Amino acid sequence: MPDYLETTVDKFTFKVATDRFYTREGVWALPEANRVRIGLSDFLQQRSGDIAFAEVKPASTKVASGDEVAAIETIKVNVVLGSPVNGTVIEVNPDMDLKPEAINQDPYGAGWLAVIEASDWDADRSRLLDPQAYFDVMKAEAEEEAKKL
Amino acid sequence: MTDPFDVAILGGGPGGYVAALRASQLGARVALVEKDRVGGTCLNIGCIPTKALTTSTDLLVNARRAKEFGLTIPQVAPDLPSLMTYKQSTVDALVGGVEQLLKERKVTLLRGDGYVLRPDRLRVTDRQGAISEVTARQMILAPGSITARPPIPGLDLPGVITSTEALNVDGVPERLIVVGGGVIGLEFACIYEALGSRVTILEMLPTILPGGTDEAIAKRLALSLRRRGLAIHTGATVQSIESIECGLRVTFNQAKGLNAIEGDRVLVAVGRWPNTEGIGLSEVGVKLNGRAIAVDQHLATNLPNVWAIGDAVGGWMLAHKAMVEGRVVAEHVTGGQRAVDYRSVPNVIFTRPEVASVGLTEAQARAQGADVKIAQFPFSANPRARILGEAEGLVKLVCEAGSGRVLGAHLIGPHATDLIAEGALAVQVGATADDLAWTTHAHPTLPEAMLEAALGFRDATIHFHSR
Repeated sequence: MPDYLETTVDKFTFKVATDRFYTREGVWALPEANRVRIGLSDFLQQRSGDIAFAEVKPASTKVASGDEVAAIETIKVNVVLGSPVNGTVIEVNPDMDLKPEAINQDPYGAGWLAVIEASDWDADRSRLLDPQAYFDVMKAEAEEEAKKL
Repeated sequence: MTDPFDVAILGGGPGGYVAALRASQLGARVALVEKDRVGGTCLNIGCIPTKALTTSTDLLVNARRAKEFGLTIPQVAPDLPSLMTYKQSTVDALVGGVEQLLKERKVTLLRGDGYVLRPDRLRVTDRQGAISEVTARQMILAPGSITARPPIPGLDLPGVITSTEALNVDGVPERLIVVGGGVIGLEFACIYEALGSRVTILEMLPTILPGGTDEAIAKRLALSLRRRGLAIHTGATVQSIESIECGLRVTFNQAKGLNAIEGDRVLVAVGRWPNTEGIGLSEVGVKLNGRAIAVDQHLATNLPNVWAIGDAVGGWMLAHKAMVEGRVVAEHVTGGQRAVDYRSVPNVIFTRPEVASVGLTEAQARAQGADVKIAQFPFSANPRARILGEAEGLVKLVCEAGSGRVLGAHLIGPHATDLIAEGALAVQVGATADDLAWTTHAHPTLPEAMLEAALGFRDATIHFHSR
């Protein structure tokens, strides 16, 4: 179980797992040897809402950092997710078809989207946010949104 | 031998009876030969009775969800004999209606097996074996189709059924295996699932609903069915069906090797074949294209004054396609000129959720070299769909990128089979996404999803956001 940074904004609690890296948009990247598992941050999944449908690019799709690697559909939004890394999709979470709600229930665990064979993880990692940096970005965004409501 | 008719029609299905009614309306003296009841496959053992069953089973599914709608329905269960009565009385009423119309229009209905003797003459053999002949200046062949029987060992075993037997629900098998993931197989899969069967679908091709259904839509339907617990095996070629102690075993071949599943009943629904054998066609020299009657764009066969319509000419085997062909050919035989616009013939599938499409799929449009823009909208963001508790699915419009002309409309979701009419009109008149978007659609209704999808062409969707 990873450790979490946690904040509560306007009665919503958001967690950031500290064992991985993030894009500003809230896609996490967890290195596993030369492979990288990806998924949605807790904030991104809560902000998107109940996920009805998740479409992940199939295995053997080549993606560049920032390219669409998955799209999720909720009641009012379609969210295109950019890949946090350069590489090739080698595995897609088989549960995404039948239980995309896993993203809402367990964003850092069972709700992972795909595993990507990264072509240059060190370069990718230097572009990604560490947990504290993402936590700060996320918190600022959450507070900004809370103000608007 | 009676006086010659203006038109003799072989087959009283949706193609044949519509041709008869229209030709008569245009002043022709018409003889219609039908071996069974008018209405053909569609009315008697196809569209109509299956839709009676889907209506009942949809109601059953919704009644089980009564709590969600704030209702208490203490006991919800199918009553099979009453279900059969409802189905049959619906069919009978509609058959009676067609018979009444034929009478009103003074069409001579000849009951018996028709056989083409000459391009202007039919022989009719009635149930008692009495033979008569009909002569006419023009002949329309509308013999319909028959259930396809693939060469699979075990097809004749008890418990192995076709759609015709599947309509007579005398019991609900605990485990139903459906061979064929096309329209017929999937509709019955949903009917029996609602009645309580555990359903497994075997499809030979890589996806269910092969041919003509937009890939994204077919994929959504497969997901929806699998989420409900139906098992789907694609790329599965059935090798054999055999009787075992506790039911039937179906062996099928997949890329990963041989596999077998067991069930209590096996529904074989691998499509239909044109019904062109044993009715004198080859003897009289009607040119066939495989099993189908070869026709030109005016529905004329190779023989003068002999026309053919409906399932027997192949292509999409749809009652409404046969009906429009019947209307077109009725004009031809009475001296008029018209052609069928096949682009705007919709295809509808009464699964749960429903699927419907018209025009080009995204893949077809791209293959034709069209510069395409996709505009879509999910039913999850349509208020009426949420009220109905059926918020699953989407509208997908395939538009020409520059002009916005609607090339195709593809839907999965509540009442998709009704909603497709607007898409068919759009394709028929060459409407653009803007035309749809600036046609105000009533709120709160399902057709608003068409408007919202059309707005997507200009990235102007109101009730859905993409980021």
